Amino acid sequence: MLVPKTDSNQGAVCSLRSVSKSFGSLKALSDVSFDIRRGEFLALIGENGAGKSTAVSVLFGLLEPDTGHVEVEGTPRRFVSARDAIDAGFGMVHQHFKLYPELTVIENVLVGNERGGPLARIPFRAAESRLRDIIDSYDFRLDLNVRVAELSVGEKQRVEILKLLFREASVIFLDEPTSVLTPQECHSLFAMLRRLQKEGASVVLISHKLDEVVSNAERILVMRRGEVVAERAVAETDRSELARLMVGAQIDTPTKVNVATDNIALSVRGLTVAGPSDKPRVNAVSFDVAEGEIFGIAGVSGNGQKALVDALIGLEPSSGGTVLFYGEDITRKRVAERRAAGVGYMSEDRMSVGLAAQGTIAENAVAGREQTAAFSRSGWLRKRAMIQNAQELVEKFDIRTPSAQQLVGKLSGGNQQKVVVAREVSARPRLLLVENPCWGVDVGAMANIHGQLIDLAKTGCAIVLVSSDLEELFALSDRVGVIYDGAIRRIFPRAELDTFAIGAAMAGDGQFSKDYA
Amino acid sequence: MFFDAALIDSVPRLVTPVLLAATGGALCERSGVFNISLEGMMLVGAFAAVAGTYYSGSPWGGLVVAMIAGAAFGLLFAFFSVWRNGDDIIVSIGVNILAVGLTALLLRSLFGVSGQFDDPGIFALPAINLGPVANVPLIGGLLSGQSVLVWLAVLLVFATHHFLHHHNFGLRLRAAGQNAEALRTVGLSPEWIKTGALIACGALCAVGGTQLSISNVTLFAEGMSAGRGWIALVIVMMCQGRLPWILLGALLFGFIDAVGVRLQGLDLPQQVTDALPYLLALLVLALSYRRRMGGAHAA
Amino acid sequence: MTHLLRSQRLKLIGAGLIGLALVLFLVPGAGDISAGFLNGAFGGRNFFNLYATLGRYAILLGMALAVVISFRAGLLNIGGEGQLVLGGLVAALVGAYLPAPPFVVAVAALLAAMVVGAGWAALAGFLERGTGVPLLIGSLLLNYPASFVASYAVSHPFRDVASGATQTFRIMQEAGLPRFNGTILDYGVFLIGAAALAYIVLEDATVFGYRSRLRGYSAGFARASGFPIRRLYYRTLMLSGAAAGMTGFIAVFGSSQRYVDGMLTTPLYAWTGIAAVLLAAVRPRLVPVTAFFFAVLATGSIGMERTAGIPREFGQVIQALIVLTLAGFAGKLTAIAGGRR
Repeated sequence: MLVPKTDSNQGAVCSLRSVSKSFGSLKALSDVSFDIRRGEFLALIGENGAGKSTAVSVLFGLLEPDTGHVEVEGTPRRFVSARDAIDAGFGMVHQHFKLYPELTVIENVLVGNERGGPLARIPFRAAESRLRDIIDSYDFRLDLNVRVAELSVGEKQRVEILKLLFREASVIFLDEPTSVLTPQECHSLFAMLRRLQKEGASVVLISHKLDEVVSNAERILVMRRGEVVAERAVAETDRSELARLMVGAQIDTPTKVNVATDNIALSVRGLTVAGPSDKPRVNAVSFDVAEGEIFGIAGVSGNGQKALVDALIGLEPSSGGTVLFYGEDITRKRVAERRAAGVGYMSEDRMSVGLAAQGTIAENAVAGREQTAAFSRSGWLRKRAMIQNAQELVEKFDIRTPSAQQLVGKLSGGNQQKVVVAREVSARPRLLLVENPCWGVDVGAMANIHGQLIDLAKTGCAIVLVSSDLEELFALSDRVGVIYDGAIRRIFPRAELDTFAIGAAMAGDGQFSKDYA
Repeated sequence: MFFDAALIDSVPRLVTPVLLAATGGALCERSGVFNISLEGMMLVGAFAAVAGTYYSGSPWGGLVVAMIAGAAFGLLFAFFSVWRNGDDIIVSIGVNILAVGLTALLLRSLFGVSGQFDDPGIFALPAINLGPVANVPLIGGLLSGQSVLVWLAVLLVFATHHFLHHHNFGLRLRAAGQNAEALRTVGLSPEWIKTGALIACGALCAVGGTQLSISNVTLFAEGMSAGRGWIALVIVMMCQGRLPWILLGALLFGFIDAVGVRLQGLDLPQQVTDALPYLLALLVLALSYRRRMGGAHAA
Repeated sequence: MTHLLRSQRLKLIGAGLIGLALVLFLVPGAGDISAGFLNGAFGGRNFFNLYATLGRYAILLGMALAVVISFRAGLLNIGGEGQLVLGGLVAALVGAYLPAPPFVVAVAALLAAMVVGAGWAALAGFLERGTGVPLLIGSLLLNYPASFVASYAVSHPFRDVASGATQTFRIMQEAGLPRFNGTILDYGVFLIGAAALAYIVLEDATVFGYRSRLRGYSAGFARASGFPIRRLYYRTLMLSGAAAGMTGFIAVFGSSQRYVDGMLTTPLYAWTGIAAVLLAAVRPRLVPVTAFFFAVLATGSIGMERTAGIPREFGQVIQALIVLTLAGFAGKLTAIAGGRR
């Protein structure tokens, strides 16, 4: 090897060397260097926007660094496309799967790994036997000729790993691989990763979940604001230190106190939403939420929680059951009528349902109330009142923006979500439906949003909180219902919240709640 | 008799332009390009075929020129939509207007006429006579005496289908339509794949246009694609880009066209019969989308 | 993003103007071309050509108005042509056959044209909401039956056979739109200008405008905010169709005084209207300006043909190139439908 090895890249399969990368005025990476060693299990942790994904994209040839370079086995390399990274033996399981739903499993594996020119025939026969060996060896239980669209989330992830094994990747990156899995599925994923590691591969886990990092990785790199701020061996650190390193400061997390009364705000009985086939998407769901109570709904996404909330706000017609709101039957009411009655809704799809990104804060902040006397008079908008309203909300909810006339699409994710919170809270709802309120927001905004929800509950508002983040549910909920396959399988009071019991229910193994069966 | 052999015999020549354009449209659809400029690309092909024949003295020259012109339009589309990241619908509108304007402009500046151009120097592509087959009742006229383009069209549909499902580029093309970003992560360029699909689409549409201008007639008239590109688009949408179904769809519309021509012979005004394919298209679309909607409530 | 887009747009226009100026100075004969162009658009004896430009402007603005009303709300109604043609045809029939005082005839023809245009647009809307056929495709396909119906009507039952052309009888002469003294320009341009102004105010300052604009930004947002989606959808679409129908009335009651086969389809009015709206980045306030630009381009090209022998179709080619270049700058239609004010 011509390049002299320094101590720092002893045994490194690949490294970043002084890499910087900017997007416009945003400095995503500044002078980042680190190694990935042969056969190690490395974790790269940090908040959203800390630069993890950018660093990996550079390593993977998807982004070209402004300065600095990638080294493979000590040799500087310039990756111009992902092809170069793949040829160097890298493989990646992306957070959002890179799959082609209408193609079969074998076709998915072969795209980009076909060998031969564009006009050559697809080498199905040669690939098939090798793939069958891999599937058997790792007990993947996949049918090669089924369309990927028909697979479950866990199976799709196995297809992604199958791709890497097929091309014999030696450095395997996984970007937030567990965000869609049940705790049990996570368990078997990590077991398999450790096996790969034993067979000589390097595994790089990108995550912000400290539990899985601490229990699986050997070495941990912490990133914050585009820099690597710390490196720790797993034995010499703990969760709280890592959390401090990630955030850079202690964050005061708001604490939930129970303010629920005996007064039932929302009563759902046997609610059913039809699905594309015979199988309903929401299947005879029943629960009550009291005034001032936060009722959490846990579940692996895609198990009907979205359809449930849509049916509660009126975006989705229900095919059976009733929804009572303070005793009034609102099952057949339209969205506008429910909103007028005091039901609020914060969608998880912030950019196209929660907000109109091309509208101003002032425009977004009155949506749903544009026809009330406060903001219009006989069909004409009261623009000055709209702007004043927005200015007050900007002040009160700490929305960081140059003006109330700013386009919502130009705000950061956290501030966008604050606009949604401001709008919904300022409408003084008596019931608020919330889906994943902290997706893609930073820790500071998260604390702010959680605080708002807790305060809102204190005013007597009932809250239904759907979240894929168990930590969030545990922090805020008075009770947590677990939804699986369209049905609420079990309801846990706050005192009985337990990760593994909830995980079992999320996977459908839980005892079926007999009350509503 | 209403449904006689002559009516059946006319179906292939009416099917061919729509079938070719729909095949091109299917390539775009499968690769994730929403190309609604099939109409314009056909018109360009029809003109280029006439111009090419006129200057080269051979209809085969016309066919080649048409394919080149169509491919160039496909490339133009790709430049603005794929490489400049423009909206497919806006680019399509631009391409359609350009096709109308450019063919009229060249008609004026090359041939000094407007509206229509015909010349004894323009020949039709040959028809293929199958000798004794021509005398077989019912299918004789259907198979024999059809333009070489009719057979080329059938060949191209099957070749395209085979290519999509058995060759690497076809696999990549289908993958591009499903998840273009995923392709990038394996180091393939969705841009080039879509460009390839658009070039092929332009060429296929242009061959369809050739069938209009130098097959059964030998002339170019402004706007002679007369909405067939839109019918082809409807077929593509109806069949979601699946080629065997596209063949079936094109046959249905060709047949309706043939019936329309026959009805004109029975003194029904031309405008009424001309409207038939569009009404059928709306009906068929309504039915197929209704079926799709029946399932997915939230779509 | 928006101001970036805007500055790029300015650069584009600037580069175009500089290029044009260079051509005019350097290319021999270019002086004739530009003189011909300017004369064609603005000159002529007694400003005849200027009035022709304004007459065309009335129709283009009307079609652009129809497009911007629907695009602004995120409804891709590109079936303006069918709505225009049917509006024109119905106006001509009312004008020729309704036995009533001139003013009543004119008003009845205007209303009938608007109702028919709105109805044809609503039909495309019904196809989308009722059966799921995308509005873009449904409205486009409905263009063809509309023009075939109109073509049939003027070549068979309502044809003025004696005139020799495929056209309807003249409308009642006194019912036609009044003209400016001693010119060929009628008051249609005022009528459509007033309609455009009314829409600009409506869109900016009313609850309807607010809802339709925000629906254009995001349909999912509009639903989740509890906007009256169905009503908003049909109202916007019918307003758009009515604008197209009104334009048909103006074309017939203005210059031509009857419906002539192909008079509204051959010049690609509807497509030019779309081009004008795209050039205006779907901002209602800019639409009157961009529509004027395309009117000048069309009549200027005719002038260029007279003086420099460049075929007038050149104007259409330029128009197409503008649309294509815009596409490269404007980004995705879903993102620009509704653009900023």
